[in-house]
Amino acid sequence: MSELRETKGEKFFNIIEKNAVSILFLIICAVGIAFSGYSLGYLGQEIITRVARNSFLIISLLIPIMAGMGLNFGMTLGAMAGQIGLIFISDWGIAGIPGMVLAMIISTPISALLGWLCGKILNMAKGREMVTSYIIGFFINGIYQLIVLYGMGPVIPIKDPALVLPRGYGIRNTVNLIGIRRALDDVLAIRVFGLSVPLMTFIVIALLCLFMVWFKKSKLGQDMRAVGQDMEVARAAGIRVEHTRIVSIVISTILAGYGMIIYLQNMGTLNTYNSHMQIGMFSIAALLVGGASVNRASIGNVFLGVTLFHLMFIVSPMAGKNLIGQAQLGEFFRVFVSYGVITLALVLYEIRKRRSRTRAGRLLAQDQLDAIKEEQ
Amino acid sequence: MENKRALLKRRIIQLAVIVLVILLGAVMFVVGKEHTILLDNKSIESGGVTYNAFQVVEVQVDGRDKLELGPRDRDKEVVMGQRHKVTVTYFDKYYEEHVVVKKFKVPISQKMVLISLPAVAAELDQSVWLTNYEAPTLLNIPKDEEPIVSDDLIPLDF
Repeated sequence: MSELRETKGEKFFNIIEKNAVSILFLIICAVGIAFSGYSLGYLGQEIITRVARNSFLIISLLIPIMAGMGLNFGMTLGAMAGQIGLIFISDWGIAGIPGMVLAMIISTPISALLGWLCGKILNMAKGREMVTSYIIGFFINGIYQLIVLYGMGPVIPIKDPALVLPRGYGIRNTVNLIGIRRALDDVLAIRVFGLSVPLMTFIVIALLCLFMVWFKKSKLGQDMRAVGQDMEVARAAGIRVEHTRIVSIVISTILAGYGMIIYLQNMGTLNTYNSHMQIGMFSIAALLVGGASVNRASIGNVFLGVTLFHLMFIVSPMAGKNLIGQAQLGEFFRVFVSYGVITLALVLYEIRKRRSRTRAGRLLAQDQLDAIKEEQ
Repeated sequence: MENKRALLKRRIIQLAVIVLVILLGAVMFVVGKEHTILLDNKSIESGGVTYNAFQVVEVQVDGRDKLELGPRDRDKEVVMGQRHKVTVTYFDKYYEEHVVVKKFKVPISQKMVLISLPAVAAELDQSVWLTNYEAPTLLNIPKDEEPIVSDDLIPLDF
């Protein structure tokens, strides 16, 4: 099949369109930095902290995209499992790295079970995975709240009075994670150009990136890519499509659980009833800002996204205050942008999909025209 | 037959991994368990003998920063794991420095233990200087107030 001839203008437009979200964010960040008045040192430190804090969570989104299941809004299930692990270790008084590892061990079976459930449901809703996983997130959040608000105390023993609500059952709105606060970040903290770098957290993230690279080349990874490209062709090739899709969601959910633990060890406080809901939205928005789309994402998108998205997070309140005199405006702006960027990415994805269909039609027509010309 | 054997091998490996993870969890539980060690510089009576509180004593847990305690002072260290070392440094009435090092193990179920520094310095039995401590809560506040003990202090008690 011959290549479709494109004019230079079309090529330029395609590049702009492909990176529209990232370019838009670059402009927003550039304007925001100028108006915020923050020093480069401050911004650098904040970005390093936030990249270390969020990257693991965002990388967990890559596998379902590879399997053609879009953005896994169901990552909140893993986040809830991670939080349950943290509640238990806080009650038992397990601190430091052992506490984190134990929380991960506790979260793993819960994440796997929830991921399996989510994968099963998503297999029944092929083509509508994103909205379905979003709603599953709300559904499981209800069950999570039921367990944490009513089950913990009378049914699931929680002894620490600092965790339990004054009425005697249910977990408090905020759990102090002082025992594991910065447990991973402080293991190998070094200073580079006056900036504190949590080296061990970055090593863990690098190991996850290596795992992702290896996983893509593995048999299961290749199967997922095949399923992501065309389910029917993959099925014809003997791949267990449904099973592969479930496995992708299970791995993503388990990694999201670990990511949430790493995220919360940096924060040092667990917002029992809200943390997991916020994290799903912000992680997906950050990935999209990095130039990923519903069906294509890479490790590069993760780091670019988390940098740009959080740069906007940092500068917008101060920029809002300096421009209009109200920091609250910046707060509204960043929430509005988080939701807006997801909408924009989804709209662009749909436009691109339609355009590629049109382009395929044009290619076919051009091929036929070329064949006729050759015959003549 | 071949398939069954492969399946059995797979199941055994899966089971082994689960057991290993559970064991790892148990190890993390023991290693990461936090205990509060209360360091108490109060006079203590044991076997009819009174061991007086120090005028000034330095105490160190697991090589951390030294804590300096005056008479009737109580400080705390939060530690991880079961096995620890306490180093007590004090001066006797001749201003001679003494260092006593004791190793001890905190029971896994115990959240708080209390170490009596005069008893450590007197090299008494571990059951005397290391006791379990239950933090008073609203449910178990002692009904009678503790009697006020006035300390005869060393080394100024010549």
